[in-house]
Amino acid sequence: MGGAVRWRGLLAHGVAALFCAAILLPLLWLVRVALTDKLTAYKLPPEWVTPRLHNFVEIFTDYPFLTYFINSVVVAAGSTAVALPLAAMMAYAFARYDTGGLPLRLFVLSSQMLPPVILVLPLFALFLWAQLLNTWFALIIAHLTISLPFLSWLLVAFFQGDVRLLEQAARIDGATRFQAFLKVTLPVTAPGLLSAGLLAFILSWNEFLFVLILSGPQTNTLPVGLSAFQTQRGVELALLSAATLVAIAPVFVLLPFMRRYLIKGLSLGALK
Amino acid sequence: MKRLLIGVLALVAMMGVARAETLRILMETVPDTEQVKSLLSEFKAATGYDVEIEAISYIDMHTKLVPQLIAPTGAYDIIIVDFYWVAEFTKAGWLLPLDEFAQRDGVDLGRYVPKVMATTGQVDGVTYMLPFYNYVMGLVYRKDLLEDPAEQAAFKEKYGIELGVPKTWDEFKKQMEFFTRDTDGDGQNDFFGTVTQAQRGDCIMMQSSNFLYGNGGRYYDENWNPLLNTPEAVQGLADFADATLKYSAPGSEGFCFDEATAVMTQGKAYSIITFNNLYATINNPETSAAGGKVGITGVPGGGLMGSWGWGIPKSSPNKDGAWAFINWVESFDIAKRRAIMGNAMTQTALFTDVDVVAARPEAPSLEPLVAEANAFPVFTYTVEFVEAVGREFNLAASGQKDPKEAAEAAQEAFADLLRKDGLIE
Amino acid sequence: MAAGALARRDQRFGLLLTAPGLAALLLVVLFPLGFAVFTSLFDYTLVHPNHDTFVGFDKYVEAWNADYLPDALWTTVKFVVASVVIEFVIGFSVALALNRVTRFKNVYYIILLAPLLMNPVVVAQLWRMILHSELGIMNYVLGMIGIGKINFLGDPVAAFWTVVLVDIWHQVSFMAILLLAGLAALPREPYEAARMDGASAVQTFVHITLPLMRPVIAVALLLRLIFAIKTFDIVFIMTKGGPGTATDLISYFIYRSAFFGLDVGRASAMSVALLLIVLALTIYLYRYMKSLA
Repeated sequence: MGGAVRWRGLLAHGVAALFCAAILLPLLWLVRVALTDKLTAYKLPPEWVTPRLHNFVEIFTDYPFLTYFINSVVVAAGSTAVALPLAAMMAYAFARYDTGGLPLRLFVLSSQMLPPVILVLPLFALFLWAQLLNTWFALIIAHLTISLPFLSWLLVAFFQGDVRLLEQAARIDGATRFQAFLKVTLPVTAPGLLSAGLLAFILSWNEFLFVLILSGPQTNTLPVGLSAFQTQRGVELALLSAATLVAIAPVFVLLPFMRRYLIKGLSLGALK
Repeated sequence: MKRLLIGVLALVAMMGVARAETLRILMETVPDTEQVKSLLSEFKAATGYDVEIEAISYIDMHTKLVPQLIAPTGAYDIIIVDFYWVAEFTKAGWLLPLDEFAQRDGVDLGRYVPKVMATTGQVDGVTYMLPFYNYVMGLVYRKDLLEDPAEQAAFKEKYGIELGVPKTWDEFKKQMEFFTRDTDGDGQNDFFGTVTQAQRGDCIMMQSSNFLYGNGGRYYDENWNPLLNTPEAVQGLADFADATLKYSAPGSEGFCFDEATAVMTQGKAYSIITFNNLYATINNPETSAAGGKVGITGVPGGGLMGSWGWGIPKSSPNKDGAWAFINWVESFDIAKRRAIMGNAMTQTALFTDVDVVAARPEAPSLEPLVAEANAFPVFTYTVEFVEAVGREFNLAASGQKDPKEAAEAAQEAFADLLRKDGLIE
Repeated sequence: MAAGALARRDQRFGLLLTAPGLAALLLVVLFPLGFAVFTSLFDYTLVHPNHDTFVGFDKYVEAWNADYLPDALWTTVKFVVASVVIEFVIGFSVALALNRVTRFKNVYYIILLAPLLMNPVVVAQLWRMILHSELGIMNYVLGMIGIGKINFLGDPVAAFWTVVLVDIWHQVSFMAILLLAGLAALPREPYEAARMDGASAVQTFVHITLPLMRPVIAVALLLRLIFAIKTFDIVFIMTKGGPGTATDLISYFIYRSAFFGLDVGRASAMSVALLLIVLALTIYLYRYMKSLA
């Protein structure tokens, strides 16, 4: 019995380690490219030269990398912060009261079934009319088209768990529907909501076409900024790699501090 | 009191003049853009305008520009126009004619190489753009190999002709075959006669055009009748498929400029047909293992004509400022300084200018490249044409379709688009 | 009577909660959606961007007759099925593994998140470099271990699977995180009962884990499916749909119609048709999932 459990534990580590290796190896190549130049990066057999940090310097001195980074954080955090409460309320109504039934839920998701290229032209016209092009605000609103439907569907599953029993208890004690939602449901599901928010953040973080068309040099985010490293004279692979590493580095720095929170949050409405 | 008021008004008026206005330009991330950037402080000193350049990747430019051009007032005062888009932009009425400005300021439009002016300058006698830089395609070859006596002897023995800078298409074909070889004896070629970039779309169309011209083929005749199924055109496509499958690095079916250039700069190929402005990168020892060993010449039969032009969109918020900038950046002195920094020149006098030649010895040899270049079909649906015909050419180059069959399908796709544009019945 | 009043008040409260979200959606969803449906009935091109010429369903006919549309649709179906199924299998395995381990969990988790934070342009360029058939490190390694070179992006079959695998590399963590979230929330009691009964690991998985996970699996598959249908960047950067039409996905097809063909009317018609197909698929999946519950 104990042997079987240990064996399964080892298997679990084996699967996880194998998977992580598959993800890490290409990333190590990215690190290598970032520390050298394109000519060396393409050399076969690989030539190991003294790593140089000039690419990391250049992305800050020759390109507005910091601006892109800040824009990305603001837009992704902004749209998630707007979408999360709105989606939580909607998803709760779907889960508990089946508000609007299937038609409403499908309507919410329908924009996600259109290619973004079709969504972006009317949004451009809208923001042009409102004189909001090239603003953070426009990008935050535009990214709601992605995060709001996504979160509304995802969060329904969060509210279908055992949290229902707690709410009932609160209602019997005299809480109104809203009080039960606000004081019982939300606190209990909060960690889960935040990890769903993380996924919405990632969707916005990587979105390209809306930003390309709706923004300008002051508000461009990383995806548009990084794609400028692909030039007709060649792709600036070394700079692209360096910029990518710097862009994901904060997550690696921040995650250890958030770890307890995240891992607790990684559960859909669990009550333990 | 009254005097005070006048004083205030005068001050406000002066502030208006002195207030720095910003001109915005959408450009591509290429060295030519960097050259312009390095001179902007002088424009500011001369005119008071700040210039803000937004440089993005070529593949995203058209998508980013079009909504801005449709808008009544766009974000850009100045744009640069690729020759692909010239007919589309002018037919849609998005570009401002520049003739009045040019006449007013006495700009001599004759200073440009006529073929460049015809490509990204004038349309039906109206000037919409001033040419910014050319990207005519040339043949970059390994000088060291051509000059190697052993190679010369072997080539002569095999083909009965001298090995030298190729003058005819047939000669170039022989050289592609000759230099493709297995140097380490593992049964696989590892040095290639040329590098093709056969990726579907823009990449294959740019390069395969040279194979069409090399065989004496053309895209269309003077009445816009498509000529893609002529024997010359079919041969051109067959040559390109051969080059891709036999004389170029494996995987060329999916290469674009970057992958193809990398093979050349790693010193693994004898030649590459590419933009003349990539020559500097390939010949620079810091960026290329073939640095210092390559030369550039015209593609036999004439290379592909490509160029960019400065234009002012009708949606430009500040058209006078925009013209002031274009007039300045294309003035002889500034154009010359850009040429010295490496700009692919568009003004005839620059190719032989003493200072330019001193900085770039290859400059005089680039003039015939431009003068002998051949036109690509530029009409309202050029961008779609590139996609449709590029797909067929790629099918042929990846061995999925017989070149003759692909050429017929390309001919049909081309004809459909020409009909849609009203150019043929 | 009292039950009816209660239901009405429930209903009202539900509407109250959905109102702010719906207001936002009206702006960002209904407006573009309405625009797409409306535009699909007009000859709206980027050269003449106006709704002057009503053409009825002509654009739908045009879209249907577009060259190589069937190829793009078929490629998209293959791509979506392959990537979603493989992602599900890998994602579920990883989620099960991560749900079990405690040591190194943070390390695994950080690595898992990394690809998601890289934008698709970078992912595509990185892999293009690694998979360069002559100069890429992958073929160098394959050559060293005696497998021989693979023409990753030049051979039609290889290119299709290259695109699928790169997409999986980039997106599989998404699936893994969602499924892990579901697993972590499962109640413990059934497992303890199963252990008492001496059920094997496979039996526990089939009879307890899978049924309990069904709602989460359904949402994860559905969302991933909808995102997979829209896959664009990887193809746009890596293959441009080639070689030939081997990797031509419908979203890139529609993109070309709109921005290269300048025909927004036709692109809208294609999009609306696509929307209806996906909608039907969603309704079917939703009903199916409900019938199981």
